[in-house]
Order: sequence, then C-alpha cells, then structure tokens
Amino acid sequence: MLQINKLNAQVEDKQILHDLSLNIKAGEVHAIMGPNGSGKSTLGNVLTGRDGYDVLSGDITFNGKNLLEMGIEERAREGMFLAFQYPVEIPGVSNMEFLKAAVDARRKHQGLEELSSFDFMKLARDTSKQVSLDPSFLKRGVNEGFSGGEKKRNEIMQMMLLEPSLCILDETDSGLDIDALQVVASGVNAMRSSDRSFIVVTHYQRLLDFIVPDYVHVLAGGKIVKSGDKELAKELEAKGYGWLESEVA
Amino acid sequence: MSTSVTPAAEFHQHALALAAAQSAALAQQDNSPAWMTTLREQGAADFARTAWPGRKTEQWKYTSLQAFQDFVAADWGAAPEVGSEVVTDAPSGADTDTDAVGNTVLSLDATRLVFVDGVLDMLASDALPAGVTLFSQADADADKIIADHLGKIAGGVDASRRNLFAMLNNAWTCDGLLLHVPRGVTLERPLYIAHVSSAGAGQPAALATVANHRVLIVMEEGSGAQVIEHFVGSGAGQPAFVNALTEIQLGNNAQLHHTRLNMEDEALSHVGAVHLNLHRDSRFHGFTIAEGSRLKRIDYQMNHCGRGADLKLDGVYLARHRQLVDYHTTIEHRVPHCTSQEVFRGIIGDRAKAVFNGRIHIHKDAQKTLAELNNRNLLTSNAAEVDTKPELEIYADDVRCAHGATISQLDETALYYLQSRGISPSQARVMLSFGFINELLQGLPHEAIRTALGTHLAALFAADRALVSDVGYSDQQAIDSESV
Amino acid sequence: MSEQVSGNAQVEDLMRKDYAAGFHSAIESDTLPPGLDEDTVRFISAQKEEPEWMLAWRLKAYRAWREMAEPTWAHVHYPEIDFSSISYYSSPKSMKDRPKSLDEVDPELIATYEKLGIPLHEQEALAGVAVDAVFDSVSVVTTFREKLYEAGVIFCPISEAVHKHPELVKKYLGSVVPQKDNFYAALNSAVFSDGSFVYIPKGVRCPMELSTYFRINELNTGQFERTLIIAEEGSHVSYLEGCTAPMRDENQLHAAVVELVALDDATIKYSTVQNWYPGDKNGKGGIYNFVTKRGIAHKNARISWTQVETGSAVTWKYPSCILKGDNSVGEFYSVALTNNFQQADTGTKMIHLGKNTRSTIIAKGISAGRSNSAYRGLVRMNPGAEGARNFTQCDSLLIGDQCGAHTFPYIENRNASAVIEHEATTSKVSDDQMFLCQQRGLDAEKAVSMIVNGFCREVFKELPMEFAVEAGKLLEVSLEGSVG
Repeated sequence: MLQINKLNAQVEDKQILHDLSLNIKAGEVHAIMGPNGSGKSTLGNVLTGRDGYDVLSGDITFNGKNLLEMGIEERAREGMFLAFQYPVEIPGVSNMEFLKAAVDARRKHQGLEELSSFDFMKLARDTSKQVSLDPSFLKRGVNEGFSGGEKKRNEIMQMMLLEPSLCILDETDSGLDIDALQVVASGVNAMRSSDRSFIVVTHYQRLLDFIVPDYVHVLAGGKIVKSGDKELAKELEAKGYGWLESEVA
Repeated sequence: MSTSVTPAAEFHQHALALAAAQSAALAQQDNSPAWMTTLREQGAADFARTAWPGRKTEQWKYTSLQAFQDFVAADWGAAPEVGSEVVTDAPSGADTDTDAVGNTVLSLDATRLVFVDGVLDMLASDALPAGVTLFSQADADADKIIADHLGKIAGGVDASRRNLFAMLNNAWTCDGLLLHVPRGVTLERPLYIAHVSSAGAGQPAALATVANHRVLIVMEEGSGAQVIEHFVGSGAGQPAFVNALTEIQLGNNAQLHHTRLNMEDEALSHVGAVHLNLHRDSRFHGFTIAEGSRLKRIDYQMNHCGRGADLKLDGVYLARHRQLVDYHTTIEHRVPHCTSQEVFRGIIGDRAKAVFNGRIHIHKDAQKTLAELNNRNLLTSNAAEVDTKPELEIYADDVRCAHGATISQLDETALYYLQSRGISPSQARVMLSFGFINELLQGLPHEAIRTALGTHLAALFAADRALVSDVGYSDQQAIDSESV
Repeated sequence: MSEQVSGNAQVEDLMRKDYAAGFHSAIESDTLPPGLDEDTVRFISAQKEEPEWMLAWRLKAYRAWREMAEPTWAHVHYPEIDFSSISYYSSPKSMKDRPKSLDEVDPELIATYEKLGIPLHEQEALAGVAVDAVFDSVSVVTTFREKLYEAGVIFCPISEAVHKHPELVKKYLGSVVPQKDNFYAALNSAVFSDGSFVYIPKGVRCPMELSTYFRINELNTGQFERTLIIAEEGSHVSYLEGCTAPMRDENQLHAAVVELVALDDATIKYSTVQNWYPGDKNGKGGIYNFVTKRGIAHKNARISWTQVETGSAVTWKYPSCILKGDNSVGEFYSVALTNNFQQADTGTKMIHLGKNTRSTIIAKGISAGRSNSAYRGLVRMNPGAEGARNFTQCDSLLIGDQCGAHTFPYIENRNASAVIEHEATTSKVSDDQMFLCQQRGLDAEKAVSMIVNGFCREVFKELPMEFAVEAGKLLEVSLEGSVG
C-alpha cells in the first residue's frame, strides 16, 4: 500500500528525516514511537503534502502511484487520511457542510455518485453516535469551541465517514482521558480490515494496549532505529527512550 | 489685518513673531550651531504655511483649540529669555527656589534634572551625568549627534499627518536636552527630567508664559536606559502654554523604559509629542498619564524600522472640570516580525472631554506583525464626553491585529461582591474606579513612581467624586439639569 | 401626453443649445444628453408630469448641490468625476406609455431579467416575493400589487406615489435624508428618476417579502433611484433589494437614496445583495456606488440593515439608524467583499437619541487581489440616551498580500450610563485551516470559499433564505481567481 524509500525531508531549512524507509502492506497496523522531536509528526505532514515540509530525496509510492507528484487534496482523495494532533477550528463552517463537501469530493474521485443530503445526514448522525459525539456537534462550526477530547473524536468520525485506505493517527491519544481513549480506539478497531492500513504515531505505549499494532518502529533523530512487534512497545514503556538513543549513538 | 483677525490667526502671528525675535537674539550671540538655524527656519516656514486646524481637520476633529484665545489676549513679553541661559548660582525667578520645586517634583532614586520654563535649574538638579548634554553646551561629538537626529525623527511623518505643534517646536527651539547612551552601555540610574512651568508666577496677571521643551534620546546598539519625563506646574494659576517634543532613536537591540507624566495645573495648556524610531530587536516600554491641565494634546508617533522590534505603551487619562485631554497615537509597522501592544484607559467626569485616537498602520511588507490596541473608558457624568477612534489600516495579510474600545460602567458583580464584604457602596465605587486605572499603574517598572503616583491618585479619587463612576448619584442630577 | 411632447421638445432644445454634436441616437433611446443644469431637473420633472411642489423640491436640492463639494474623506481613490459628462435620465424605449401588463414589456427586457434570475412573472416568482424592477431609471413593473393592495400595503414606483399619495410623499420625502445631507444625496434629490415607495398601514404585517431589482444598462448613464419606506405604528415589513449591471469599460455612477421611517413599534428589515459590475481584472470599468441609506426609528421600533456587497468598482455607503424613540433598536449586518481593484468604504452610523436604545453592528470585510476594503462606522450616544447599548464587531479577512483591510470606527459618547463595546480583528485565512480542508480532499478554491462563507455566517443568517443562498454563491463567484 505504502512504500517509503530512503526519504530525506526538511522543515524550514532543517533536515528532520534521514534516509527513512518503511513498507506498509494492506491491512497492517504500524505504530511509530519515539521521543519528542524525533520527527514523528513530520512524517505525517510529509506524507500528506503539507506546505513547508520539503522532500529532499527519496520516493514514496501510495497504492502504486507516485505520492510526491500529488497535491494535498489529491492524496486525500486517493484515500490518505491524517487525524491531526491539534485539529484547527474553522469558525462558521458547520461540521455537516464540511463533511459533506469532503465526502462528496472523495466519492466523486472514486466515480461514485454524491450522497443525497438526506442520506448523508443519516449517515453522519449514525457515525457521530459511534464515537459518542452528540449529533448536535454536526451543526456546530468545525471544531469550534470543542474540547480536546471532542476534537479528537471528531477526527475519528471524519475518518469513519471518509473511509480512507491509509489512516495516519498523529498522537491522537495525547491529552485524552481513558474513556475518550477507549472511544477513539474502538472506532479505529472497528475500521480495521484487510484492505485498510494504519500508521499510529504515539509517544506512549498506552494507546497500543487498545489498538494492537502488527509492527512497532522506533524513530529517533529522523531515522527508524529499531523495529519489532508489539513487545517492543512494552519494552520502550519499561525502559524509556534513553537506552535506544545511547545504543544508536 | 489687525482689526478682525481670528484668535487662531492671531496666535499664528504671535508664534511666528516670537520665533523671529528669538532668531534675531540668537544671531547676536553668534554661537548657535548651524543645525539650529536650519531647524528653526524650516519649522517657522512649515508652521507659517500650515493651516490652523479646524473641525474638518481629521487630526483635530474633536479638539477645539479655543483655549489658545487666552494667549492671544495675553502679553507675549513673558516668553522665556532667548538662549536658555543655565541658572548656575541663583534661581532665575521668584518661584524657582529649591524648596518650591522640591514640593512639586518627585523624590526618586534617580538622576534628577529640573527645568523651569525650559531653563535648567542647577540648584534643584543633580550634576549632569555622562551622556547628558544641553544643546547649548554640546561639544563637537554631541553636536554631531544632535545634528544627525534632531527634527529628523519627528520629521519622518507623512506630510498629511505632520503635527502643527511639532513644527512650532522646531521654530522655537533655542535649547534642549540630549541623552546619548553609547553602544552596549546601560544607565545605572534612571534619568528623571522634571519640566516645571512657573506659569507666570511673580508676573503681572495678564502675562502668559510660553515654554518650549525639547528632548532628544539617542540609544546606540545594545544600550539600555530608563527615563522619566514629568511635566508639572507650580501652581501660580496664570495661563501658560507648554509645547514639548521628545524624539527617541532606539538602535539595534536597545531597550528603553520611558515614562511621561503630565500633571500640570488647571491653567496650563499642553501640547506634547513623543516620536520614536525602533530599530532591529529594540524594545520600548512606555507609560503615559495625563491629569490636570485644562487642555492636553499628546501625540505618540511610533515607527517600527527594524525587524523584531517590540513596543508596549500603557496610558491613563483622567479628565475633570472642563478639562480636555486628547491622545493621538500612531504605530507604523514598516517591517516584518514586529509586535506592538497598546492599552489606554480613561475616566472622564464633570464637563470634561476625552479624545483617544489609536492608529495601527501595517505596511505592505510588514508580514508576521502582531499588533493589539485596547481603549477603555468610564464616563461619570452626562455632561462629560468621550470620543474614541481605534483605527486599523492594514496592507499585509499574514498578520494578527486586533483593537477594542469600550465605554462602560463599573461591574455590578464586583460592586456587589465588595458590599457583601461590608464595604459601603460609595467606598466600593471609589475602589473600583481607582482599580480601573490602577491595573495599568502596576505595570510601571519604577517602584517609587508607582508609589508616588498611586498615592497621589488615590487621594484624588477619594477627594473628588468626578472620577468615581456612580451614575444616578444625586449630584449627577444636578449636572444634568444644569446642562439643559 | 402634451407634457411628454413638450419634454421631447425640450430635449431637442437642449441638444441644439449645448450638445449639437454626438447626440444622434439619444432621442430614440430616450436618454437625456449628458450634463446637468436647472433645465435638466425641469426636464426630468416634466417627463414624470410631476406637480409643482415636487419640481420646487428638486430645484432646491439642485441649488444646494451646486454649492457643495464632493466628499474626499473616504479611503477610496478614483479619477475626478465629470458630472457634466453623465446623462441624468434614461428611459427604456418601450416604457414610454407605462405597460399595463407584462405583455407590453419589451421582450428583450424580460429576457434580461430572466438571465438575472429575477422572478418577474408572478407564476415564476418565488412564493411570497413581490418585485419592483427598476431598469436604468424607470420602474418597470410591480408584481403582486393586488394582493398587497388587499392588505392595505402600498408598493409602487415612487413616481406613481408622487401622483397618488402626495400627502405621504410630501410628509416623508427628505425627512430622514434631507436634500442638503451630503453631496450625493443632494444630487439624487435633484435628479432622482424613480425608485420604490412602500407604505405599511398601522398594525399591518406585510404579507410577503417586498423586493426590488435595480439594473443599470445605458452607457454613460447615472442611476439615481430613490426609495422611501414608511412603516406605520406596529407594522412590519421585510424589503429586499438586488442590484446588477452589465459589463462596461467606462465607470458608471450610481447615487441612490433610501429613507426608512419606522414609527412606534414598527419593524423594517432592509436587505441588499449588491452586485453592480465591479470592473474587470485590471480595474477597468465598474460602477461608482455612492449611496445614502438611513432610517429613523421611533419608540420601540426596529430597523435592521443587512447587506452583502460584492460588486461596484468603488463603494461609498453607510446605511444608518437614527434611534430617536425610547427602546428603539438598530442593527447593521454587513459583508463586503472586494477583489481585483475594487475599493469599498462602507459601514454604518448608529445615532442614539432615545433612552434604552440598542444597536448591534456586525461587519465582515474580505479583501482579495489588489483591492481595499474599509469599515467606517459611527456610534454616537447623545446625552439623552440613558441606558443605551451598542455592540460592534468588525472582522477583516485578507486573501493575498496585495490587498488592504481597514477599520475606522468613530465612537462618541456623551452619556454616563451608556455601554459601548467595539472589537475588531484582522487576519488571513490560516494555513492550518487550508491544510485541514485540503487534507480532507477539498481543492484550494472550494476550501477558501467555504472558510469565507463560514466567516460571514453571522451575517448570512440575517438574510431571508433565498437571498442567503444567492449571497453564498455570489461570494464564491466573486472570489474566483483569488487563490493563486
């Protein structure tokens, strides 16, 4: 599904990612862990094509296509989804209106017909309930005045509606209490399937108790310094990141 | 020409005549530097061809200069002696002995310089510290600094917005004070400059005093200083006109705390301006208060000239009786990555009037600017007036700018809270009214000024209910019926 | 008919006198030759077979106008207008004998309206909308008149009201915007050609939304429509106004006057979607829109202005409320979008005279391309405005780094119990918002239009439903090409 080959990328003239390679097959869940400043969030931003994140060299193939040639919205329509660490507020734009526009754009790209307003509203209401968001949130401005937990659940709801093939969760667990974490995790688990992959970026092992990964990679200094299975996450939790950094150095 | 001229025209004539008389006297002395002649001539020429501001002049829309009528009637013979001789061994006037001055100026842990009607009073002052020079005593180095900067900082304003009284100050400049802080030097003690107006003390009643103050502060790269300018009247009760202009140049990474206190007598009219250029990474923290004299017009013209500069200006105005206070501030963001924050609060009572105009101008290239302005007012009488106009003029997109202005009453919840703790309604109103401005006083860096101002103002609030917001209070009705 | 003939004779007379050259087809299209003098005013009045008092009223305005100067204080720049090169009257040819039904209207006209989506035919009309369409200067047809007539509502061209309801016109015309109010209002008073007249009797709730569409068609023609709405005690009316003009290389002048009178307990809601031709991408052509709109609210009355301004090369417009009666309410909701080289200086005045009067101002400005958009507003609390309240929120959004957004609020308070709150912000469409939208699959243009629509939501929700949809689409169209 996604092949990253020797990726070097920079932010504001500072190189963050160094020769990063990663291969994700359909249906797999990859966790990416690492200390603060290791480049975890940069990876998500580079993959989605955010301005200011420049690829110096390397290549990325997504569903057999050259990802780096695509614009932000093209990647999204191809099925790439980023759940933001800090979802931005868009005052006055209702969640419903925003979601319909996004879903319409994705469906159009897939050659499907737009959903009628009625069908979409029904779908959106059902989905909001799955992430324990009151349907009244659909009428409010995008993330406008939402609490941290509500914003994160809103992200997962969008993910469910858009049915992406690759979901990148950028520290979706940070700042969540255990109840909200479970809501988020069960939403993700419900979406796991043989044709959908996940990249779960997190600082803490806690999330991985709920979303059990197939692979765990440790990112440090912009490189994957260690890969393993879910046991690696537990080891990290016990020992911290310090031993890895010294091992690398 | 002499029979039916307007007061404005007559003031104009007097002002130019005074400038000419001074020039003649200076020429006799034969030691005034070339820059001064140029500055004076240019100032007089600019002043002569600029129309007297009326209601249609946007800069003077809410401020009538009728008060100048008094100077027209008065004999201008009482203008200060030309040449600004330094008072070395005796007080120049009856009222300038150290005791009298000592009562009006503040006692601070600072280097103190006292000017009486624009003339340095040596007895009341400390010795001039390093870097401080009178224009009239400037050596070659100081002379060059003055020539390079004086009139240039204030002269950089758009032609349409140039201040008539800055031109007049140029025309009248005979002397002034230079503070020059060299590269990397931080002044150990604050510099306290008291501008005392004797207001015609000891003179026959019909004589008015005209005083011209000029201060130039040049801060070289990485220097630091704290300057307090205090305008105060000694209480003789005669009409006086003060024109004070301060120019400030902040070099790269320089820092200045500048406090300007306007606390002159009722009879005084004060027109003042601070012009400021901020260069790369420099910081200006200003505080200004206007209280007292019947006409005060104070302009702050602040220019961000280098990236990363930061400015903060807090202001307080209190207007009672028939006083008029008018603040006009402009911040020009010409370069990227600068910040500015301005907070003004005022209380207006009796038949007084306050005008606030705060302009923020973001030029085309000034991306990443952060600029905020806030103006809050309490009106305590229906015969009083406040006119406020915060302005944003923005030509760059990646900026965050906001302004707010409110005119309001005391918070009922706070009043109730205080009363529930046993404080009388009347006392609660005094506390909250004073608290309204005290928040800004607390931002003053110099503790002695904080204390001195706090004490002075708290007494004023306790003594005069004109500054205490209590709509519906019985004497309020009296004012209402009177004004009908 | 005899006056009609004499009117034409007058044109020929004028033509021979002053405009011997270049006036070949004017008669056929019934466009008055360019130029303005007393004869022009007399001609217009004669064309409309006006009574003597109306002519006298116009002449008074014309004489005042001659003595007045064009205002220059607005933040707009355009070449000087040659008022003698404008034609002050143009009547579509087939209108000469006032059609009795749509069948008599020039089919070309009908086609034009249909292109604009105007529901001219009753059966095609949006349910509940009555339309008065003003084409260039003449009111073409008013639909739904009979149904309105049953309710006692008068909705007709003002030229008709002059004849049929002279007592109302005499009493109220110029009562809110006097002839000498300002340069453009005086010009309009002298030469206004037509416009709408609305009268809602006491206690009547107008059974449908009333609507007028204005269109400028003829070359070099000024359009000067005049609207007068009178809502008697306890009545209620909602009035919609749509404006459009075809593309022309030349600038065309539009100087309208709208007067609203809301008597005790009445409500007038006035909504405008203005889409005059804004000029091309290089700033060539477009309408100069210099409009005076004002309402007076008596006791407990409410006047609400909602405007969506996307058109015109230059806009100069300040729909205002005089809150005369106690407890009256004034509202102003505005979206002003400028793109390319457009300039808008728009806002409102809220004049609080009565006790407990309340006003709300929500103004949203969007600047794109090389355009400039300014909010200019006045909030005035007079001494009698006991307990008055104002809340103002002005937000500006910048798209691109070549445009400007400005805020000039004037706040004047002379009442101690009044509360005024003003807030303004300026920002751009944030990169984070754009990224979120694009990451969810929206293209850049859709993302901007969605964010801009969200920014305007508070204002759009004040518009009647069908207008709100139109306004949203209009923004989208107006923003085309603004995202690089």
